[in-house]
Amino acid sequence: MTIPLIGRIDSGNAAEVEAQIFEQLSGNDAVVLDLDRLSYISSAGLRVLLRIRKTHPDMRIVNARPEVYEILDMTGFTELMPVEKAYRVVSVDGCEEIGHGANGSLYRIDSDCVVKVYKNASSLSDIQHEREMAKLALILGIPTAISYDVVKVGSSYGSVFELLNARSFAKILSKEPDQFDWCVREFAGMLKQIHDTEVPEGKVPDMKKTALGWAAFMKDYLPEAAWKKLMALIEAVPDDNHMIHGDYHTKNLELQNDEVLLIDMDTLASGYPIFEFGSIFNAFIGFSEVDPDTVLRFQGYDLATSKRFWHETLAIYLGTRCESKIRELEDKARILGYTRLIRRSIRRGKSETPQGQKEIALWTKELIALLETVDTLTFSRDAITVDAAPASLEEVQAFLDERLAAVGCPPKAQSQLTLILEEVFINIASYAYPAGTGRATVRIKAGDGAVTLTFTDRGIPYDPLQKADPDVTLSAEERGIGGLGIFLTKNLSDDIRYAYRDGQNILTVCKSL
Amino acid sequence: MEKAFPRIDLHMHTVFSDGTDTPETLLPCVREAGLVFFSVTDHDAIGACEAIRTLLKPGDPHFLPGVEFSCQDDLGKYHILGYGYDPASDAIGAVVRLGHEYRMEKLGKRLRMLRDRFHIVFPESDERALYALPNPGKPHIARLMVQYGYAGSIRQAFETVLNQLTVPDLYVRPEEAIKGVLGAGGIPVLAHPCFGDGDQLILGQSLNDRVERLMRFGLMGLEGYYSGYTEKLRQEVLALADRHDLYVTAGSDYHGANKMIRLGDVGFPDGDRPVPALLRFIGDAFKA
Repeated sequence: MTIPLIGRIDSGNAAEVEAQIFEQLSGNDAVVLDLDRLSYISSAGLRVLLRIRKTHPDMRIVNARPEVYEILDMTGFTELMPVEKAYRVVSVDGCEEIGHGANGSLYRIDSDCVVKVYKNASSLSDIQHEREMAKLALILGIPTAISYDVVKVGSSYGSVFELLNARSFAKILSKEPDQFDWCVREFAGMLKQIHDTEVPEGKVPDMKKTALGWAAFMKDYLPEAAWKKLMALIEAVPDDNHMIHGDYHTKNLELQNDEVLLIDMDTLASGYPIFEFGSIFNAFIGFSEVDPDTVLRFQGYDLATSKRFWHETLAIYLGTRCESKIRELEDKARILGYTRLIRRSIRRGKSETPQGQKEIALWTKELIALLETVDTLTFSRDAITVDAAPASLEEVQAFLDERLAAVGCPPKAQSQLTLILEEVFINIASYAYPAGTGRATVRIKAGDGAVTLTFTDRGIPYDPLQKADPDVTLSAEERGIGGLGIFLTKNLSDDIRYAYRDGQNILTVCKSL
Repeated sequence: MEKAFPRIDLHMHTVFSDGTDTPETLLPCVREAGLVFFSVTDHDAIGACEAIRTLLKPGDPHFLPGVEFSCQDDLGKYHILGYGYDPASDAIGAVVRLGHEYRMEKLGKRLRMLRDRFHIVFPESDERALYALPNPGKPHIARLMVQYGYAGSIRQAFETVLNQLTVPDLYVRPEEAIKGVLGAGGIPVLAHPCFGDGDQLILGQSLNDRVERLMRFGLMGLEGYYSGYTEKLRQEVLALADRHDLYVTAGSDYHGANKMIRLGDVGFPDGDRPVPALLRFIGDAFKA
């Protein structure tokens, strides 16, 4: 039974109101008090509520206006019984629309506040979800804007944020191109912070499961071998409890009074960071591959800027200028990006339109090609994977130089490590894949007074440490070919180990600084 | 619905103020409710306590004479409870008389203003009856206004007429009430501290400031258990009493048929033990 309370309840009419309520109450009905039209309640009124509850312990309150809700909260009534707030009604007529996205539009309602109005009329649960996610992110140390109120806007709902002089990175990039370097540094820095943040278990969806769902969808749209490879790649991604934003692009990063804020938390998830890069790739490039103006329409800057921003983001994130390393991450991101784009287009019925057919055909072709070459979706800021060929040495050397420079490696150790890298890598490039070409990975761990190089390849099993040391007393002409490289490596390093695991040669060389 | 120890209710009203029970009808209710300790606390009146005393029989619940003074000063309104005073002491009688004089004066002013400004006049017999009431106030005038067709409801009487009358501030000040209770050997206690005189909401720092100020006048206790508290409010008052080492009392504010408060409902949480400050109060106040 719902009983409306109207106007004011204070000592002047509390007894009267109480008598009226008890007159209406019958037996064991669940009591709902509708406070929609109640503007004031004094403590005499509160005691009336308390007495109703004594005879009807399951009573609840709905539509409490903010001023009444505040009193109920202050006095502990909200802990005592279910109390639902009334949503303040806000009109955005004549308000400046300062942004719009897939879910809705952002309006400035006064100098301090903006309201994000959701398109979907049944968006209340989405709003609550986003508020929960934003709170979680804030607790975990991510700077974000938390909505402080949910309001009713026309037939839909909105979230109210305090946002003073905030500008999105998209706007800054489009209006002040000279801020590019600053923007990309902040953008990549925030991304690293997100991916370094651990999320308590069960609080957010697991991105790997979500991605497996996308991949499963692709069964009917990819050749069987390609589809199986896609599933296997995603299944092999390690479980990871680090945060993923899920919709990371330059409109979701805001600059407010010198502080960078991450917004739009509704897609918050956890998982291995490659899943994030899949959606970032789409935002910067994927969506625009057939119609290059897409990014201009959505972000306000052109595709060339967008591509450069993406590339620099990867370079800063990985801490390298090494092109093959950047390309490696990009290729892995594209696999997930295309999977998602194709699925999205098909589900939205775009395969019926010429433009959609063109997009789907292009993305599918690219995806199949990528699936032929990419063997893992994992990546490391500390590792580089290249063709196991002498020509790749230069790139691996550059990567090593970057890493050693980052830890301030002394020149002598640096030249010795360079020599070790060269000897081992050339050895792999020359002998690991006698039948043709393959890949080799070099992992560089620098820090704590030591540098560890780990070389991995899938070539023929070969333990270089078993090779007898060459007789260095012989002249160069008398010595056999090879053997000297590994001899040098052994002597220049502090520890060297070999293992053959999971079809891989793994040589680990450690050198103290 | 049996409540655990102690069966106690130290805050109730009779017809000597705005309750509906006479001392004769109240006492059987107290027995029926199974109370072990009780007190009657009429607004600004102690007559019912005199009557109860003569009605008590051996084996009856332990009785403590009480009173609830309505007080006001520039900083707000207060209800000050007084317990265990000597009824024969002139100190308590003086406060009761002062309050009565003020009320009579205000009643006279209100009736004159009604006549002069609103042309509202009641039959002389009704006016005499008003003056004869122990505690006549705006609600009683409002009732007459409704009875004689000057207003459609009590609320309307207040809103259209009574709240527009400005009568001079004649109120017993909290320090006068506290001094009177202490002078008669009683214990002054602040009733429903977070509700002021019953219709405000005073919490946090302002509640603490208010209690500290009254303590300087000699306040000794807070009504820590009360029918109208939520858990949160009770915790706040109990914590405040603990912080200032004050007595704690427990009361329902039973008014008979006028309010739907059950005698003996003082909001003890089920299964909880009362705080030591309440047991201390019972020990000290009921000793005499």
